[in-house]
Amino acid sequence: MDLQLTEEQQALVAALQDIMQDHAELPQERRLSYAWHDAGLQTLLGESGFLDAAREIGPLEAALVVFEAGKGIAALDTIGCGLVAPLLLPDLRIEGPVALVDRRDLGKAIRNLSISGTLLVDCGEDVALLPLAGFAIDSVDSIFAFPYGRFAERPDLSSARRLPGAGAAMRQWWRVGIAAEMAGAADAAIAFTIDYVKQRHVFGRPVGSFQSVQHRLVQRHGWAKSLYYLTMKAAWSGAESDAAIAACFAQTGIQSLMFDLHQFHGGMGVTIEHLLHFWTYRIRALQAEAGGLSASALAIAERRWTEAGSEVDAVPARVAGL
Amino acid sequence: MEFAWSPEQRRYRDRVRVALDELLPDDWDEAYVPESYASDRQVEFSRHFCAALAERGLLVPHWPKDFGGNESADWDHFILGEEMKGAGEPRGPQYMNVNWIGPTLMRYGTAEQQKQHVNGIASGKVIWCQGFSEPNAGTDLAALRTRAELEGDHYVVNGSKIWTSYARTADWCFLLARTGTARKDVSIFLIPMDTPGISVTSFPGLIKPGHLNEVFFTDVRVPVANRVGAEGQAWEIVTHALAYERVGVPRYHTGLDALDLAVSQLRREGRWDDDPIVRAAAGRIVAKFEAARLMTYLVVDQRVKQMPPSTDANLSRVVALDAVSDLMNFIAEHVPDCLAGGDVLLEDYYRINVPAGITGGTNEIQLDLVAQRGLGLPRV
Repeated sequence: MDLQLTEEQQALVAALQDIMQDHAELPQERRLSYAWHDAGLQTLLGESGFLDAAREIGPLEAALVVFEAGKGIAALDTIGCGLVAPLLLPDLRIEGPVALVDRRDLGKAIRNLSISGTLLVDCGEDVALLPLAGFAIDSVDSIFAFPYGRFAERPDLSSARRLPGAGAAMRQWWRVGIAAEMAGAADAAIAFTIDYVKQRHVFGRPVGSFQSVQHRLVQRHGWAKSLYYLTMKAAWSGAESDAAIAACFAQTGIQSLMFDLHQFHGGMGVTIEHLLHFWTYRIRALQAEAGGLSASALAIAERRWTEAGSEVDAVPARVAGL
Repeated sequence: MEFAWSPEQRRYRDRVRVALDELLPDDWDEAYVPESYASDRQVEFSRHFCAALAERGLLVPHWPKDFGGNESADWDHFILGEEMKGAGEPRGPQYMNVNWIGPTLMRYGTAEQQKQHVNGIASGKVIWCQGFSEPNAGTDLAALRTRAELEGDHYVVNGSKIWTSYARTADWCFLLARTGTARKDVSIFLIPMDTPGISVTSFPGLIKPGHLNEVFFTDVRVPVANRVGAEGQAWEIVTHALAYERVGVPRYHTGLDALDLAVSQLRREGRWDDDPIVRAAAGRIVAKFEAARLMTYLVVDQRVKQMPPSTDANLSRVVALDAVSDLMNFIAEHVPDCLAGGDVLLEDYYRINVPAGITGGTNEIQLDLVAQRGLGLPRV
């Protein structure tokens, strides 16, 4: 049991943070945007090898990349092309970024579709792989802080390449990715909020000096920190149950996080020139993905009470009293 | 990062489990656990159980060799506590002895105190109670009023303590008493519970019997030699002592066991398989307990590596309490009969956790500490 990063992992994180630091500023012309996809940064992460971490190093390192990139203000695709695709298709290079969708949502606006080269479709048992070149995709305006797109015509999946039996694995790594990006974005949004409530004064004192604000910020911080470790454990173990736990915990905490962080920014929190929404509405966008909270919670119950138990059970429960 | 236990740690856990299997009576779950770990029955059982643990080198393995320990790894100590908690804490109140009373006396006690008490604790046969809280001084310990006045070579103690678990059967009390007029003029005394002038009154409550006691001190004479540290040194000593307690008990073990019991009952009653709302609610609670588990491991890992102090121990308690609170709500909503004559183990879980946000430092204090020392939010 060792919950600290290894020297190699620290080096990976430090190198990525250096790059992210150089892309931490929102371009002035995007100041009043709902979403900002930094295409240059997306390319740089790919060319620098960060999005190959899953193949080259391992899933935990790939989750670290998603987490660290999630702290940034820009919307990127790291879940699809940095985690899900390489772990689902380790021997196949596909055109990135990679959008992810449930088959039932194929006709709706899809996160990252307008910037992606490939779409992976969760068809339940199987996965369909759809190269997007040649498809007409309309950009969709959204409050969510990701670029969204919709197929001009719903694609026919019957001719798409199928990955038989890959559905569960796709949902598993999608869940890990959701948890990792949420943890990173939440970490940054909480830090942004802490900074704000230290500076903003009401009734002659900082907003952050009120106990009601302090306690809720600590609770949200506790959630985000726990989520980070649940996510890394899920990436480390490669266990479906751990992925469901991480996503469930992530999607459970959103309601309080969204309310509290926007609440503490007061009126500023409802504007888009204030930066908070770039993190919180990325988190919001991930709330319903991979089946959402109900599906991840039910997956946990399924694993714990109808199957043999977690594949990697850190501490098998002893049958005993309470 | 590495989330697996080493082969040595697994072997150690197996060794503890073997001891539990061999030392706990066959009717442990049915007869002892439902009475709760503070019951007279369990407290008395702990004298035999801990003595047997001591013989196997499993009572104070983390202590220095000079004090009867084996200087075993910190993770082993944690694994030991985790398994004991998972088994219903058959050490009863003696978990306090080995976790913080003994180590505190090793650091601050006189040679005579160490000889008498540290050895006694290492034998597994001595019961202690903690004389901290008072009717008007719980979280705000500095408000305590119990006084110890020096008269020659004795102190004379007057006052009362409350919420004193195990007081009915304890041999000794680790007492905080005021020795001066300033807010922090507080000292620590070790007092035999059979000293004339001490009386204990138990009263019923929402928690299981054994926890709620009031201890009255009327002209209780305590030798100066029973004071720990200097007069007025209590804050330093208690801060040190409670640092051992901050991680708290591993609540995920008992919580997940209780959830398993509740789910078993719901299945038997046909209220599980066809009810996705109940199943999803249970799944969410599992996720919260797993979060609490990792936060606890994080704190232990930081200690093992002797990393700089942080507020993560406080934060881990906040995270654990959230899971416990959700589970108590789940029990009350879906298997409420356990609080009215149904499953006694579920009742025990629920009632033991009624004060989960209060004992060992209130949740609000934990939140304050993290806010101000961890997040750097301004104090008023």
